[in-house]
Amino acid sequence: MDIRKRRYALVIDSRKCINCKACVVACKAENRVPIGDFRNWINEERQGEYPKLRIDFEPEQCHHCEHPSCVRVCPTGASWQRKDGIVLVYADDCIGCRYCMIACPYDARYFDEESSTVGKCTLCSHRVDKGGIPACVETCPSKVRVFGDLDDPTSRIHELLATRRYHVKEPQTGNGPQLYYLV
Amino acid sequence: MHEFNWGLLIVIYLFLGGLSAGLFFAAGLANYLEVDGQPAYPRIARMGALLAPWPVAFGSALLILDLGTMHRFYKLFLHFRWESPMSIGTWLLTLFTALAFVYCYAWLPEDWRQKLFSRLPTTWKLIHHLNVDLSAYRKTFAMIGFPLSIGVGIYTGVLLGAVSARPFWNTNLVAQMFLFSALSSGTAALLLALVLDRRNPVEQRDLKFLVWLDVIFISLELFIILPYLIHGSLSVLAVKQALWLILGGPYTLVFWVFFLGFGLLVPLGIEVYELAPSLLKGKAFHGDRNLALAASALVLFGGFLLRYIFVYAGQLSSFHRMGMLR
Repeated sequence: MDIRKRRYALVIDSRKCINCKACVVACKAENRVPIGDFRNWINEERQGEYPKLRIDFEPEQCHHCEHPSCVRVCPTGASWQRKDGIVLVYADDCIGCRYCMIACPYDARYFDEESSTVGKCTLCSHRVDKGGIPACVETCPSKVRVFGDLDDPTSRIHELLATRRYHVKEPQTGNGPQLYYLV
Repeated sequence: MHEFNWGLLIVIYLFLGGLSAGLFFAAGLANYLEVDGQPAYPRIARMGALLAPWPVAFGSALLILDLGTMHRFYKLFLHFRWESPMSIGTWLLTLFTALAFVYCYAWLPEDWRQKLFSRLPTTWKLIHHLNVDLSAYRKTFAMIGFPLSIGVGIYTGVLLGAVSARPFWNTNLVAQMFLFSALSSGTAALLLALVLDRRNPVEQRDLKFLVWLDVIFISLELFIILPYLIHGSLSVLAVKQALWLILGGPYTLVFWVFFLGFGLLVPLGIEVYELAPSLLKGKAFHGDRNLALAASALVLFGGFLLRYIFVYAGQLSSFHRMGMLR
């Protein structure tokens, strides 16, 4: 199918997350993310005091925004967005100015000291292009993440967003984030 | 954000870029002003022209040093992306620096120019073709340079202001604040150079012009900073949280005491004190050398601190709940 007719996104059902961090490990192994850097992570939010308390886990990564501010500010065009929505860094053009890291409202990028360029979640585009799914999605034991094409009406992600309530993080930035959190 | 992506090198660069813009602007202005058909402030015009290109050239070198992969900095020139303030800034900075050097050359005294070329090997014929007197074009260069210098002064603010993810920066006032601070810094640097140059006596007329100009720029800067604080305090939570960084947070002392106090109000007070008798009572202006020295040094100190506070505090601000205000 034509790449231009796809729009990849992730739906996240945070309530299923048990903070096992298998997604984080899978991502690091799959993408050889340097020690100390992360392409995905899990936010923890505590509420109340023992014994009356609750803790919420919320996986997060690059939101692959509709209007990514990181792409807009990049002076060389190294940060770019594919037609299917995936936001990538073309390392050969990255000069390491870190403007994109500052411009990302989700702090989803890191500076790779080894290559002196900026790294980020690629939504495992190398797997997706072969018809696969991102490593974090595949490995999740409690099926928190659902990956799919928003423009495919038969996809699970399409169905979830049509039938469940959801929110996105920091919509006021105008970036149009594409990580959908089910309520 | 867990760490600062932009550090002291960027602070210094933003300061030096603004300083050059201010130097060029003030010197260009002095070049245009005439009294009875004679240039009114030739010494200021020459000093500014000779000084202007150096800070920005040094600052740009620092900028390249700060890059992760500095050998790739040339890629900045292979792309033009109008949506990226940094891309526009690259071109603006290049044009401005080049013009500032040409302007500097046009103001080079004849004997300095001859001495410079006499040191170059005579076999470099192409270079020796450049040994021409450009003094007739000074006004033209200044006129082309005005919008460029204003552009560089504004751009240092736009670079930060255009980042929508950082509420501390993302207001429509930061660009003007940086511009007026840049113009004031340039004026103060000229004032400093004027009083430090002991070979020539300081002319009261030159001193008065610079003090006047600086009072105007500092006042304009104040008129931007006050609404910045007021609007921010009355704005949405993210902006309020961001502003907390200088209203109770870690940058409060450095903002209020060192920047606003010592870097802005004290020099403004000194300069107004110097000007007041000649303005209000019609007395002849009599500027004190030491007071001018103190005021100009403080203005430069304040200009540097403004960049320091904005670069660091801005990176700490975000749309996440920052745990300071609920």
